[in-house]
Formats: sequence, structure tokens, C-alpha cells
Amino acid sequence: MFFAFLESSRSALAAIFANRLRSFLTTLGIIIGVASVIAVVSVTGGMSAFIGDSFASLGANSLTIQSYTPFEDLMKGIRSRLTPADLELIEKRGEGIASITPILAANRSSQIKYGSQTAYSEIMGTTYTYQDVSQTYTEVGRFLAQSDNQTRRRIAVIGEDVKENLNLPENPINEYVEFSGEWFKIVGLLEPMGDIMGQSRDNLVLVPYATMVSILGNQAQTDIGIQLSLTPTAEPDVVISQLTTLLRNAHDLSSNEDDDFRIQTAEQLMEQFDQILGTLTMVIGGIVSISLLVGGIGIMNIMLVSVTERTREIGICKAIGAKSHHILMQFLIEALLLSLLGGLVGLATGYGLGMLIANNIPDFPSAIVPLWAAALALGFSAFVGVLFGILPAAKAANLDPIDALRYE
Amino acid sequence: MSLINLTSITKHYEMGSQVVKALDGIDITVNKNDYLAFIGSSGSGKSTMLNILGCLDKPTSGQYHLNGKNVEILDQNELSEIRNLEIGFIFQSFNLLPRANALNNVMQPLIYRSIGFRQRKEMAMDALSRVGLGDRVDHLPNQLSGGQRQRVAIARALVTHPSILLADEPTGNLDSKTTVEIMQLFDELHKEGHTLIVVTHENEIAQHCHRIVEMKDGRIFNDGATEKASLGVAV
Repeated sequence: MFFAFLESSRSALAAIFANRLRSFLTTLGIIIGVASVIAVVSVTGGMSAFIGDSFASLGANSLTIQSYTPFEDLMKGIRSRLTPADLELIEKRGEGIASITPILAANRSSQIKYGSQTAYSEIMGTTYTYQDVSQTYTEVGRFLAQSDNQTRRRIAVIGEDVKENLNLPENPINEYVEFSGEWFKIVGLLEPMGDIMGQSRDNLVLVPYATMVSILGNQAQTDIGIQLSLTPTAEPDVVISQLTTLLRNAHDLSSNEDDDFRIQTAEQLMEQFDQILGTLTMVIGGIVSISLLVGGIGIMNIMLVSVTERTREIGICKAIGAKSHHILMQFLIEALLLSLLGGLVGLATGYGLGMLIANNIPDFPSAIVPLWAAALALGFSAFVGVLFGILPAAKAANLDPIDALRYE
Repeated sequence: MSLINLTSITKHYEMGSQVVKALDGIDITVNKNDYLAFIGSSGSGKSTMLNILGCLDKPTSGQYHLNGKNVEILDQNELSEIRNLEIGFIFQSFNLLPRANALNNVMQPLIYRSIGFRQRKEMAMDALSRVGLGDRVDHLPNQLSGGQRQRVAIARALVTHPSILLADEPTGNLDSKTTVEIMQLFDELHKEGHTLIVVTHENEIAQHCHRIVEMKDGRIFNDGATEKASLGVAV
């Protein structure tokens, strides 16, 4: 069996390379199909790996709690929120929690001033633990400290973009910026983090959480996010259910009411992104598989022509002892190799295309072809080759040796 | 024991409502080391005869024993195997694989016997040397002259060590000089002990053989030894 396979592959390759241009044109459908699949998958794959890295920095053992308002309530003007009181509750009663990081975004003006310069930025109140949870470190100066929170100091850690937008000096430490009518001393400059999908992550100002709470004043209006990291022994599911009970009680929810908050693990957040990317990939993959189908039909067409052209050769082979399965195998393997070669060329082209796209969009993550996609593309090409090769190969195998020998 | 034994072989073709009797009751025996010519005009049934003898086609009725085996009951794949083992074809139009060089052409039938490359090459080289083409093994068929092509075809027929060499108008596409050369090669092969069956319409060619079977309208018209046969015996 292996022997026959080897011999058939040898002659199939010879036949393919004997008609180089035709073989190339025949496989063009497969090449284009596979190339587009791989280009799309490599770009989204790169994106997905990048997003995965971003979430991994949150740590696998971390939870995010955010308020959640059902759409119906939103229409009624009701907004759910997580309050500093909830934060205190979790701090006191939560179990299995290693650190707790509140994030309080300014919900009024995010305008920030330095001298005569004005800029807009995301301003967040948080604590020193934010550094660990989001893997953000300072380039110059220091991060927020625990004592800053306790004493509600008016200090800020700023991102690279803020420094540039406000024309701050190269070393902005000890400069003062103003927002919400208060002056903040800059104590740290964050390392640049780059963009994620075109959105800068460096345009942010971090101030101590307690300071932010006092600036925002009316606590009934505040809605905070909470990031938790768990102790190594804690089971995320157990912690989630305990926190859910805690918050439901605190929010006075009766048993028939839904949660007005969401507790998510970093994995869940990542899964959501993956789902979106996955759907996108599937849709494009579906469209592209049509081109593979067309490519397959192209191969069948040329293989049929090739069988007709080589009728006499088939007759000769049969006369000197080829059995039906020898002929079948030869043509089937020729179709298989043809589309497999197309698949390989398509794979390379697609990857090149993906890299080209990724490299030409600034700050876009570089293209990555997942192994499954490469395997799938090649597997699918092979499948197409065999599927559309069967008919011509069977036609060749069933030729009558006398008729085939007489064929002109 | 006879190599080939045909008993009441008929071959009928249906052409519309008409039945054409291409072979109409053939009885013939061919012995080992026979050198036999089928001769006859076109339509005499000699091509059909060749197809039946070569196991390319099955008779409508009758029995065909080849080397002790009942051939008429075999299916297409079994016939392929018989052709591979027992028969070496030599065609008028050479029928070489156009994209394969001389060596590969000669090696081709051995592939169907699952013989490894090295041994295949050795056997093919032997066969090519036998026909005097040991120095042209890399040439493609279209780089060879007609006579050389026919030699490659003969080498391909010889390489499997078949029971019979079956030649269909082997010199039909060759000039007279080459024809003589090829027929001399046939004579030599006969002397080496091969069994040769030549189908031809040229009397000159047939005269090389030791036995001539004349066909007409699907029947054997005459079957007799030539002068060469007595000479052959004398030698």
C-alpha cells in the first residue's frame, strides 16, 4: 500500500510539474481561498493573542466586579451602582481575597489643566494595588502609596500621553496639574503601554481613591469598579457565590430580582473577547470556504481534462499491468497533491498578507497563524482535493484498456 | 504442455441491431518458443485476436488457457495482473509514456509488481542493454528515433520476463532499414527462447516467423510452417 502510494506520488508530482502553469492556475482557487482564510485568521489570531496577554496581566486569580443595569431599567432612568459602602463591605466580610482595588472614574469633567494648557484625559481614583492588578509601573517617580489614600493626598500619577498633551516638562515630577478645581502634584509618570485596537492606554491620570471620593462629593452618585485578587488557595467559584450573596443582601434584592452587578473572572472577560473574534473568524471563514469550493471544482475540471488528455497513457499503463486501483490512486493523489500544494502556497501567501496588514497599521499586533488554522487549511485543501479528485480518478480507473489504447 | 490453448473462441460485437462476428470459432495452440505470425487483411479479425491473446479483451464464448490458467473467467483487475506477469506488448505506435524517459518507461511495468526502485532500475538497465540502448536511458521518447523508441518498447516488454511477446504491427511505423533491424532483434529473441507472436499484414514480416496463421473473416484460414522453420530446426 505504502509502496503504491509512494510510486503514485512520484508520478503525480512529475505530472504536476510537467504542466507548471496549468497546475498553478488550477490551484489558484485553493491558493486564494486558503490565503484569505489565513490572512484573516492570522490578523485576528494576533489580536486575540494580544488581548489574551492583556488579560493575563490581570492575573488568572482575579475578579472584576462592576455594576450592571438591565436595558429595561436603563430606559426607566434607573441605574445600578456599586458604592464605596459595597467596597467597605467586601473589605470587611469578603473571604479569600488577597487585595482589593477600587477604581473610581471621574464622571464629571475629565478636563485637566497645566498652566495655560488644557487636555482631556481619563481620570481614575484607585489604590496602590492597581499597580499589581494591571501591571502598570512608573517610569519616573513613584506609584500611589497606601498612605496617600489614608491621608487623601492631592497627588497624581500620569500617563505618557497626558504629559505630551499638557506640554509638561520631560521630567514632570513635582509639577502641578489642575482638575475639578483642585491642584494635584505629579509624583509619577507611567511607562508607555501603547495602544490597544487604536485606543491609547497612556492617556490616563491616577489619583488616590479616597481623594477621588472626596472630590466627587455626593457618594450616592458614584459607581465604582472593584478588582480583586484572590489568595492562592481560594476557589474563584466559592468567592463569587459568597460575594454575590453579600452584595445581594446589601442591595436588598429579593430572590426574584436579578443581580444588579456582575462578577467576572479575567478568564470570562477574555472569553467574551475570544467569542467576538471567534464569530468574526467563523463568518469570514464561511465566506472564504465558498472560494475553496470553487477552487475544488476548478481542480475537478482540470483533472477531468487531464484524464481525457492522458487516456492513451492510462491505456498503456493498463496494458502493461496497472490495475484499477493503481490508476485511481495516481489521479487521486495528483488531485490531492495539487490542492495540498495550493494550500501550502496559500498558507504562505496568507501569512505574508497578514503580516503586511499587521505591519502597515500602526501599533497593530503582529500576525500569528494558530497551528489549528494552518492544520485546518491544509486539511481542508486535502479534503477538497480528494473530494473533487474522486470523480476524475474513478473515470480514469474505469477506462477500458482497448478503448484507451486506441484513443487519439 | 502448450503455452496457449484457444478452444472455440468467438468474439461478437453488437453494432446497433447487427452482430459482427470478429472471431468466429478459433481453435489454436501455441507452444513455448513458437515464432508465430497472424496475418490477414484489415477486418480479418487479427486485431481482435491480439486483444484476446493479450488478455485486453474477453471472448464472447470459448476457452482460453494461458500457461495453464483459465483466462476467460477473470475480471479486469485479474487480467491486468495476467498481462503484467505473462505478456509483453510491442505496439505499432510504440505506446511509450511521453513524459517518462527510456529508463522510467521500462521500469513502469515493474511498479505494478511492487518491486523496489533499485532492483527495478537494475532490471530495466539489463533490458535496455539487451536491445542496445544502454547509453540512451535518460532520453525522452521524443528525443529518440522511431527504431530506438521501438527498442525501448521491446525492452519494456522484456523486462518482466513474460511468457509471450505480443507484437502488433511492430514495424508499421518504421522505415525499411529499421524494420530489418527490429526483425533481426525479434529473430534473436526467438533464438534466446522467447515465444513471439507477431500480428501483421505484411508478408515480408511474417516470413521472418516460423509459423504463419492466416486469418479471414474471423476464422483461421491457413496455419502452416514457413521455410525458416525447417531451417531453424536444421540449425
